[in-house]
Amino acid sequence: MATVDLDGMLREYVPRRHLTSSAPTLGALLEELEEEFPRLRGKLRDETGSLRPFVRLFQNGEAVDRANWPEVRLGERDKVDVLHSIQGG
Amino acid sequence: MAGKAVRVYLGTRKGTYVAEGDEKRRKWKVRGPYHEGMDVYHVQPDPRHDGTVYAGVNSPWWGPALYRSRDHGKKWTEIAPPQMPVRAKRPPPNPEEDPRTVVRPIVNIWHLEPGPAREPSTVYVGVDPASLYRSTDSGKSWEPLNGLNQHETRSKWNPGAGGLCLHSILVDDRVPGRMYAGISAAGTFRSDDSGEHWRPLNQGVQVSFQPDKNPPFGQCVHKIALDSADPSTIYRQDHDGIHVTHDAMEHWTRVGKPLGDDFGFVVTSPATRPGTAYFAPLHSQSRIMKDGRLQVYRWSEKSRKFSPTVAATKWAGSFGTHREGLASDSLDPPGLYLGSTTGDLFVSPDDAKSWEVVPFRFPSIHSVEVSVAPGRK
Repeated sequence: MATVDLDGMLREYVPRRHLTSSAPTLGALLEELEEEFPRLRGKLRDETGSLRPFVRLFQNGEAVDRANWPEVRLGERDKVDVLHSIQGG
Repeated sequence: MAGKAVRVYLGTRKGTYVAEGDEKRRKWKVRGPYHEGMDVYHVQPDPRHDGTVYAGVNSPWWGPALYRSRDHGKKWTEIAPPQMPVRAKRPPPNPEEDPRTVVRPIVNIWHLEPGPAREPSTVYVGVDPASLYRSTDSGKSWEPLNGLNQHETRSKWNPGAGGLCLHSILVDDRVPGRMYAGISAAGTFRSDDSGEHWRPLNQGVQVSFQPDKNPPFGQCVHKIALDSADPSTIYRQDHDGIHVTHDAMEHWTRVGKPLGDDFGFVVTSPATRPGTAYFAPLHSQSRIMKDGRLQVYRWSEKSRKFSPTVAATKWAGSFGTHREGLASDSLDPPGLYLGSTTGDLFVSPDDAKSWEVVPFRFPSIHSVEVSVAPGRK
């Protein structure tokens, strides 16, 4: 099972910071999370499924390409981080 | 407690605030922020259900969200925004298909409007990119009004500085089925069949910023307000000045020229003062009030003239307003409420004969709406 770490900003929508998942891809992982935590729906992705501008996904510490992230395959030992960038004044 | 409770709901750059007072409208108790840190474009009480309030909350991190309160804005519950149905999979947009299937992600929620009194569960919401949605279950689910959203003129609509936003929705209870919408910069539209079909109605409103100065649509309307007595009379603050119509938008007449620069964003027409509207003009380039001071003008249909309502020596400052920044209540004499970009809430309890400022420094104010309840709770 892949491990999933969610940043602190998501605590309002997901009560846990650390999760595990057997989703085969990152796209499937986000759908699984939205299914389990309905308030998350729309917070990470917009209506078309595109990631919101300040959301970044990391796989084993490497930033995932924003263009084709839903198809990125996940393995049992993978670690996924879902992060928001906080920037600006 | 005796007396009527007056609540002023503020949407600000950093959250929602509520100022509570009584019918004297002299003393205010402020609570908030709710939705702390979020960009709250509009907070709208529903006069059909005492205590019910809707809020359009925008965030660059979380996207747009809708909230509803049943207790005058003390506790808020997030409700589903349009286009976010309760299912995880979203079909990708495909412009080669029927254009009505194309999903346009909502950038910001701009305006919430209660439906007519005879439809107590109907609520409308206007968003960027310019689209209008209707809920018939108090915001649990939404349907697009594609007669406007897919209007034949849409491909020629252009965004204003705030985006391609549908920011004005008027539901005229006196004429069944009649609605109006304002879009920057597509102009004003009217429906006579409860939102199924729409006509752009902008004749008489010039467009200074494009080659064709008199197009049927494309005007940069900023805000519109219904007259409380005459359903055919509507007041309009446009990028290109202050206008009035007396035939339900079929023709518009520019009346603001005596003010010099009649650019601005706000207009309100008090329920107990038919034939009267209030405007707060701004310098068209800087978007702040002229001469470095607060200015609010009263327009009278009877005299066809403007008159200033704020003493020239009263408040110095660089005040701006956003398009939802001026409201009036339903009392007699009417109260007027002006929220500024400087975070000041100015209140007149007596039809703009006198003005005071609420002693609380808010974040920059986007919207001001007022409710009057029978008794304080």
